[in-house]
Amino acid sequence: MAILEIKHVSKFFGGLAANADVSFELEQGMIMGLIGPNGAGKTTLFNCITGYYPPSKGEVIFNGRRMNGLQPDKVCKLGMARTWQKVRPLAKLSVLDNVMVGALCRTNSLKTASDLAMEQLKVVRMEDKARFLAGGLPIGERKKLEVARVLATQPQMLLLDEVMGGLNPAESDEIIQLILDIKGRGITQMVIEHDMKAIMRISDRIVVLNSGEKLAEGNPQEIVSNPEVIAAYLGQD
Amino acid sequence: MSTLKKLSADISGSSAVTVVAGLAVCAGLCIVPFFVQNPYLLHIMILIFLSTIMGESWNILGGYTGQYSVGHAAYFGTGAYATMMMLQFRQVAPWYGVWVGLAAALVVALVIGSICFRLRGPYFVLASIAVAEILRLCTLNLPSLTNGAEGILATGLPPFTIGGTVITDFSTKIPFYYIGLALAPLTILVTWLVQHSKLGYFFQAIREDQDAAHSLGISLTLYKNIALVISAMLTSLAGSFYAIYVGFVDPPTVMALDISVQIVLICIIGGIGTIFGPVIGSLVLVPLSEALRSNLIASLIFKTGLVSPDSKFGGFLNDNLAHAHALIYGILVVIVILFMPEGVLGFLKKLAVKRKGGEA
Repeated sequence: MAILEIKHVSKFFGGLAANADVSFELEQGMIMGLIGPNGAGKTTLFNCITGYYPPSKGEVIFNGRRMNGLQPDKVCKLGMARTWQKVRPLAKLSVLDNVMVGALCRTNSLKTASDLAMEQLKVVRMEDKARFLAGGLPIGERKKLEVARVLATQPQMLLLDEVMGGLNPAESDEIIQLILDIKGRGITQMVIEHDMKAIMRISDRIVVLNSGEKLAEGNPQEIVSNPEVIAAYLGQD
Repeated sequence: MSTLKKLSADISGSSAVTVVAGLAVCAGLCIVPFFVQNPYLLHIMILIFLSTIMGESWNILGGYTGQYSVGHAAYFGTGAYATMMMLQFRQVAPWYGVWVGLAAALVVALVIGSICFRLRGPYFVLASIAVAEILRLCTLNLPSLTNGAEGILATGLPPFTIGGTVITDFSTKIPFYYIGLALAPLTILVTWLVQHSKLGYFFQAIREDQDAAHSLGISLTLYKNIALVISAMLTSLAGSFYAIYVGFVDPPTVMALDISVQIVLICIIGGIGTIFGPVIGSLVLVPLSEALRSNLIASLIFKTGLVSPDSKFGGFLNDNLAHAHALIYGILVVIVILFMPEGVLGFLKKLAVKRKGGEA
């Protein structure tokens, strides 16, 4: 069953179409890679799905429910959570408090939230950093903190916006393993990523965006052998 | 470096000791009027209480939620005017009038919130100033309702009785001292409760990053308005207290921009977003402002013997230093902000962290 349906979504900024008539479906429990050159409209699509921008045209259907026009907080409450390309730690709060803010989305009890947050910190192997201030973490740990924080909101679906950007190969491998672990828990994921090796490894399906339009869709093997995708990435003569 | 960061997170977490210390201080303050009858000293204590209430109130919105309102005179004035209008025009005792003030502040807060929270950052600050000014001008220009520029003088303050027994007739400063002593810890308690609840987490998340907070399921409109309402109602309480204590309100004394600025300064000097910051801020600012006003500086200079009060220059100092109190006050505030950007409390904390870090 499709957990997320994107139907003819367009987003215009003035005359510029950041997304033009994008449609695809995402099956429950799958990982979808969303790739494309810079400026292809990947983050804009994330913003349209999670309520930061209302789509100019088209529909976003999550669990059979139309999401257009819902505020981001409502989207999160309905079970769809996102991370940010540019990480947004709550700098003056401790790592544990950061994750607790996410957990408090579903509970009023600080104790429950704290237990849940600690669990998520164990998932990303940061339980020993719980008392540190989030603002002092290095980039790799900030990215993992983002993931722990959204996991604490107990989502059915995660949208990860370049969680591997700026990480060294060892850190990237750790994130890849983390994404696969999250898949093991039955959480559907949509992943924006520039690291092709990583995206080929983790994705069940891939959607390629170019200049706001959907260029191709398929499993990783189909995508790497698609001439249009190769042309978009390497340029055409 | 990392131990430093860890320690600073630890220190802000220790609270059991502070509760005990706080209760001890309150108990100590309760018996002060038995030993101190000097009205001027009591007056300064009352001002410190009042300033603490104002600072703690603003802190919930400004310090915890990060919405820097520079229009809190609106709520202060609302509380002050509501209580005075009920007292003078409707003969309602202030301990009932206060509730009218609270209700009025609630309404004003929701109206101001619905206008200003559409804006972020500096635009919010400007809007909060503008809306407070509008309210001041309305108060000034609706004499049929508010007595306009003449203000309202309290003449009919009834004695406070319980079951026919007169508890106090408000002829001394002591009853006001105890009202302040009740209200200031109350606002501290409210702040503590907020910080140790879901609200505190959500407020601070909004302060740190609105978009991130929004994406984590926090409704920005709802929680900003909750912060504003709590803050506005407590500020209105301070306004009511001030009005009854001074016995007179007019637009410049309870609604002007400098009240709003004063409220913000209490927190900035003490330490923004901390429970005891406004207390420290009040302890610094109130005595400082009183000392400057009463020409303490000139008399200190004379005491050093460098300048004689009878000389020409001495006379000049004597005449002008008191008038320059606002200038000197301003300079001192700038110095504190320059050297202690996180306020006096933040500065002390940093010292403590450094010492602990050094031993470890």
